Amino acid sequence: MNRTSFSLVVAMTSLLAAAPLRAHHSFAATYLEDAPPTEIRGTLKSFKIQNPHSYVQIEDEKLTDKEGNPVRWVVEWGAAAQLSTQNVSATTLKSGDKVVVTGAPGRNAEDFRLLMRTITRPADGWKWPVGNQTFR
Amino acid sequence: MRILHALPLVFSATLLVAQGPPGGPPGGRGAPAAPAAIDFSGMWTGNMQEDNMERGAGPELVDYAGFPINEAGRLWALSYDPSRLTSRFHQCDGYVAPYSVRSIGNTRVWEERDPKLQKLIAIHWYSQTFEGHRVFWMDGRPHPPAYAPHTWMGFSTGTFAGNALRVETSHIKQGWLRRNGLPESDQATLVEFFVRHGDHITYTSVINDPVFLTEPSIKTTDFFRQPTDPGGWLFPCEDSEQVTGRAPDQVPNYLFGKHPFLEEHANKYKLPALAALGGPETLYADFEAKMKTATVAEARAKTLPAAVPSLIGRAVDPEPKDGEIHVLPLRGNVYMLVGDGGNVVVQTGDEGAFVVDTGSGKLTDKILAAIQRLSPKPIRMIANTSFHPAYTSGNEKLKNAGSDPSVVGTFLALAAPGAGSTASIISHENVVPRMNGSLNTPATPAGSWPIDTYIGDRHRKFHNGDSVELFHVPNAITDGDSFVHFRRADVIVTGDVFTTTQYPFIDIANGGTVQGEINALNAILARTVYEHSGEGGTIVVPGRGYVCDEHEVVEYRDMVAIVRDRVKAMIAEGASLAQVKAARVTADYDTRYGANTGPWTTEMFVEAVYNTLKKK
Repeated sequence: MNRTSFSLVVAMTSLLAAAPLRAHHSFAATYLEDAPPTEIRGTLKSFKIQNPHSYVQIEDEKLTDKEGNPVRWVVEWGAAAQLSTQNVSATTLKSGDKVVVTGAPGRNAEDFRLLMRTITRPADGWKWPVGNQTFR
Repeated sequence: MRILHALPLVFSATLLVAQGPPGGPPGGRGAPAAPAAIDFSGMWTGNMQEDNMERGAGPELVDYAGFPINEAGRLWALSYDPSRLTSRFHQCDGYVAPYSVRSIGNTRVWEERDPKLQKLIAIHWYSQTFEGHRVFWMDGRPHPPAYAPHTWMGFSTGTFAGNALRVETSHIKQGWLRRNGLPESDQATLVEFFVRHGDHITYTSVINDPVFLTEPSIKTTDFFRQPTDPGGWLFPCEDSEQVTGRAPDQVPNYLFGKHPFLEEHANKYKLPALAALGGPETLYADFEAKMKTATVAEARAKTLPAAVPSLIGRAVDPEPKDGEIHVLPLRGNVYMLVGDGGNVVVQTGDEGAFVVDTGSGKLTDKILAAIQRLSPKPIRMIANTSFHPAYTSGNEKLKNAGSDPSVVGTFLALAAPGAGSTASIISHENVVPRMNGSLNTPATPAGSWPIDTYIGDRHRKFHNGDSVELFHVPNAITDGDSFVHFRRADVIVTGDVFTTTQYPFIDIANGGTVQGEINALNAILARTVYEHSGEGGTIVVPGRGYVCDEHEVVEYRDMVAIVRDRVKAMIAEGASLAQVKAARVTADYDTRYGANTGPWTTEMFVEAVYNTLKKK
């Protein structure tokens, strides 16, 4: 094997070895991935960085349920191992942050569920993803 | 052409299968000597370019082509609303053994050898995702009995056959054939072949599932060896509240014929919907011709149960039925005794045995002998989860073999002559009138009646160093059901409220209702804690069947709630009982739990559901 092809094999192997853990459940089965993304604005209530996926809970600033309470969205994000390589840690976001999220809507509209595409915090301009960051 | 691509896999698997019959001697038929062991140790990764949907973001809904599913498998999958995974009881569902190999993540393999003899004891196959740790026992040990617990990974034994490691696996939990809702039942067994070619492994899995498949599902996967440790081996899963405000008895599901995304996958790939619905025909080349003429109407017809009589269950009966009582240690000083109809549980200790339920009365002497072998002290307390004879018929004999010194010298002993000289029987108060003949059930001997009864939701005893609680679950199977929780041992004994052998025996004449049954299953789930990936932790002993944990209770709860939803929807549309029965509302569960004869048939279950819902 010459040096070039050996380097290619090493590079390919490393790429595959580093392949992130993908969805525990099926994203395609759970979300309308081809639908236009839904944008929500609201107050972050909790951010749990965990396996198999992390979740951000957001209280919508406008939308309310039948009882007049703010709708709570649950936004699915990457696994802890994935986010930790993308400068997202358990303290990156905190309860009370005002955020704007876009995501693929869940197939069951009543669940108020999104699959994270983008999240920004206008107060300081923090945002994700940056560059080619992804968890898919 | 994906369907034609399946053919080489079938052929390659057939060749491998031919190398050694199931259960045959190592080395295959006619092999002169046992083949040499093959070392699989190292780190391996599945190729990402094949089965990318399984190893990537996951398959799409209603993509079942190439899987030999039967009607029950297809209807189960079509009823699956992915929102079900938002339930905290499903969020950490692990992958079952064959899917854990086929799907995402890296794998570490190592050998376990006898330190003195260097004999191969086991091969460990550890998958990154969910920390799926499989152990292929190579030392010839037998598989556990049918009443032993099921796990995601199951119980595996291996032999070297020709150039392959051949592994047989049983005792797998109900899980996914694909993670788009396509089910694999707890009755599935697995035969696998691992063939090493230098730095590659060709893996073939043969899944036999009498509940959801018409023929074995055969798949191959390729692995390549990793030169360096990929890292990230730990995968603790934690559940959380994902959808707030959902009632605990709501289980997301699609009614038969109402799948909202039925044709989405088929349209995306320009496939006939009929092909996407799978079935054995979609494995074979002949189906290519059918694809040219397949209509949407044909596909839609497959989304409803066929107009045929209901099917019967194909599950193995976990009861040995050999006239013996078998003892299975559960945890600490708690044991399950199986063999006399309803399961019996015994807690032992210095204060004397605490027994939950006493069997159907056919093998009471053997139950007593088994208890006495476990505990030299007399039986002190007996708890009845129900008045039903399967759980109370040994009451009198076991009671008379025991004593309850805590009663001697008390006012109770004055009021009930003989109290204390026998064990005390505990139950909810509604059990007694069902046993003493004051209601519509035949009287049993007075010596079998509970004397220590409770009225409210909970009764408690501290016994043998454990907190033992009885919880009343109103109007479930009857109006007097309890489940028992040994808190320290963390063993829950459910009685008839939960079994692995039949549809719930909702005894309307004695106060049972379908909603009470769902509530009772949720009450059990309110007390369970899993150890890892939704399995282990709290041990759940069903009234009948194999030892479980919360996963089996969740699947059972889901089933009852889904059937309730179907019947409810039909009642809302004005359906009669005959119409509900004809609609086969349990079609996706009948090959697991169905019965057309015996004391509790599918028809009786559907009738009980209909009648209790109609009463409202």
